[in-house]
Amino acid sequence: MAILETVKVSFTYPNQLLPALNQVSFSVEPGEFIVICGPSGSGKSTLLRMVKQEIAPYGERSGEIFYNGKKLTEYEPVKIAKEIGMVFQDPENQIVMDRVFEELIFGLENIGMPTETMRTKLAEMVHFFGINHLLDKKIHLLSGGQKQIVNLASVLLMEPRILLLDEPTAQLDPVAAKDFLHMVKQMNDEFGITVLIVEHRLEEVFPLADRVFVFDHGSLKISGPPKDVIAKVWQEQYRPLFPYLPSTALLYLEHADNLQIVDIPLTVKEGRKWASQLKTHQFDTSFKKQENYNEKQNPILQVKNIYFQYEKTGKKILQSLSLTINEGEWLTIVGANGTGKSTLLKVMAGLESPQRGKLIYNGKKYSKPISTDIAYLPQNPKLLFIQDTVRGELIETAQQFHLENYEEKINCLVELLGIQSILDRHPYDVSGGEMQKSALACVLLPQPKILLLDEPTKGLDPEMKVALGKWLKSMQSRGLTIVMVTHDIEFAARFSDRSAMMFQGEITVTTSTKDFFKGNAFYTTVVNRMTRDGNIPEVVTVEEAEEKWGSQKIKN
Amino acid sequence: MDNGFRSLHPFVIFLYYVLAIAMIMLYQHPFFLTFACLLLVIFNFVLDQGKMLKKWVSMMIVLSLLFLILTPLTNHRGSHILFYLFNSAITLEALVQGLLNALTLIVILTLTITFNYCMTSDKFLFLFSKWMPKWSLLVMLSVRFVPLLNRRLMEITTVQKGKGLSVASGPLKQRIKHGLLLVQVLLTWSLEDGIQTADSMSARAYGLQKRTKYTPYKLHMNDGFMILILAGLTGTGIFGWWLGDGVLTLTPFLEPTILYGREWVFFTIYVLIIGFPLIVEGKEAIQWQYWKR
Repeated sequence: MAILETVKVSFTYPNQLLPALNQVSFSVEPGEFIVICGPSGSGKSTLLRMVKQEIAPYGERSGEIFYNGKKLTEYEPVKIAKEIGMVFQDPENQIVMDRVFEELIFGLENIGMPTETMRTKLAEMVHFFGINHLLDKKIHLLSGGQKQIVNLASVLLMEPRILLLDEPTAQLDPVAAKDFLHMVKQMNDEFGITVLIVEHRLEEVFPLADRVFVFDHGSLKISGPPKDVIAKVWQEQYRPLFPYLPSTALLYLEHADNLQIVDIPLTVKEGRKWASQLKTHQFDTSFKKQENYNEKQNPILQVKNIYFQYEKTGKKILQSLSLTINEGEWLTIVGANGTGKSTLLKVMAGLESPQRGKLIYNGKKYSKPISTDIAYLPQNPKLLFIQDTVRGELIETAQQFHLENYEEKINCLVELLGIQSILDRHPYDVSGGEMQKSALACVLLPQPKILLLDEPTKGLDPEMKVALGKWLKSMQSRGLTIVMVTHDIEFAARFSDRSAMMFQGEITVTTSTKDFFKGNAFYTTVVNRMTRDGNIPEVVTVEEAEEKWGSQKIKN
Repeated sequence: MDNGFRSLHPFVIFLYYVLAIAMIMLYQHPFFLTFACLLLVIFNFVLDQGKMLKKWVSMMIVLSLLFLILTPLTNHRGSHILFYLFNSAITLEALVQGLLNALTLIVILTLTITFNYCMTSDKFLFLFSKWMPKWSLLVMLSVRFVPLLNRRLMEITTVQKGKGLSVASGPLKQRIKHGLLLVQVLLTWSLEDGIQTADSMSARAYGLQKRTKYTPYKLHMNDGFMILILAGLTGTGIFGWWLGDGVLTLTPFLEPTILYGREWVFFTIYVLIIGFPLIVEGKEAIQWQYWKR
């Protein structure tokens, strides 16, 4: 019997014409691992919230949801709250308590469990997750990944039968995301917990999934085993969903001669198996054009021998760091958590002044923010907004910098970004991508020469990422220099020109992006891992493959 | 894990502080207060090598000097007139009263510093959560929120600096305006994120039924024994105060500061109460020494 079943579930938010969910019917067997994907605003989160009664959105609803054959509403609220657990996107905001220990037992206290039982359960869970060393810590001292694991553990302590996850790894770096997803998979494999996960990191979750649900415009478009779903999306040329396919599969679909559903690679291992069968002679080597990344190199910003630490006795965040940024390039800085990437951007923006070292912009030293020339977009764009509307914010910014005929500049920028429709809304009420764009409009208004971006793709869906990347690329062609700090190597590989690796407060390598990723054995894109050391020309992205291998089909 | 005095049941620790403050307030005698001060300073050093105490020491000196000077200036009672200042008598009694006030202040402050170490917020909450479960949860939430808001404000300040909103420079009026704007951003942001916290709370069954509270502390035999000792000592101490011992009589006659006869007995009890944590710590240290052999 299905553990969860929805029958023609529809939902419309108040004052909205179109339903957020439209006649959604599906059933989930116990122990299934379901991945839900689709563009932002396609109703994925709404669906999870409908299943999770306590936080169901307010609005017009129809249809029924069954849990173990009985309507959700017929159960005792405490039982259902316990048996359907949910983990949310933001690791920080889900946390209620100050210490890990208190956070873990929060749910247990809510369901009225006696102290002794709590101790036993906690002992088990802590052992299983290996988080004994975190128990007495203050939560804010943990990394994002650790926080999210605490959130997961805290939900699992209530022994749910169904686990709902709403983009749980969107705010995490790739390594932490991988750890988290494997933990979820382990719970699914070893304890048979049914998992419904909304996720954008498809390379990671597709191999784990039993079935994939594709949502678009509030309805369930395609469902089935991952490979079937991929094949279907491809065969029906369902273009808006292409960015959602794992790049291993995309590479295969674009270059495989006779498409076999079972052959669609989901993992790098499968991908390499396929790639090893490809033959070299099909490639016209003369086609391989030499990339010349030696345009006129005109340094616009120089960081020389910077030392930085936040506290006198604290850790040195940046150590004798030097970096040159050339005019008109897009530089990506990658590196593990806590290596000082974000701090470096703040220093470059003049927001933090280094203890030692020089910053030179256009041949002049500076130590204060020069926002008219160097714009900085923080990781959390919310911090930028002061006014009630996006328009107000733009006007305020223009006045702040005493810009002349700013109306025109605002209009021009708004049009470029395509955010006309949200101008009169509160910056917090728009989607993640729109908020990012509004923030970009604000910092780009004074027409700066350099744009510093801190994790611009965090929390964006694949489609928005591509759109953002393309837009930034177009700005770059208009002369904007971009420096970006990111964990998103796929994004960096696709769009940036030059990449640098940061390690222990220093820049270790700086080279053109393609060489950078080809030189890395571990820190590189999925496509590169799939194609390296084979008989085919090594590529980093699907786009590069198209360019180098040609769009013609390759014979297996 | 805590050890020594801090490993006792929170109730014992709390009782100690209540009783110690009572004894300090009752025994207004320079000799008693000086010893209390000495014991508590030692206690501070045992806890954290006096690090916290050092931070407070300058403020303590300034405050006690203020008391020492202001009391004789405002209080003119007493028969031993030392001299006249602006036509008002400065009496020895008032000076002694000032000394007593200043000493009491120092002793209480020194005690409070150790309180923060021994009675951490979770222990404190544990004690009161039994009677006020809702309030204790609210307090626990705020315990997290204060530093959280502080960190967020720092972040906002850094980012907004880039937009030219600075509270560190410019005319005062503008700085205030900027400061308010920053706080406004903080509030909007935090309220927005607070909704997510609320969701996460209700997703974990909050508010559906009566909560239980995890009790991390058990009352052991040892703790009960300690409570008995403390209560017995304080009972005797209060009896001594009722007899009038250990209180320096100022009016109508100024009593000599030196202790006599029976007062020494109550002094010993006083020292035992105030020095209670030191005894516990000392006992543990000695046990450790023996165990090592």
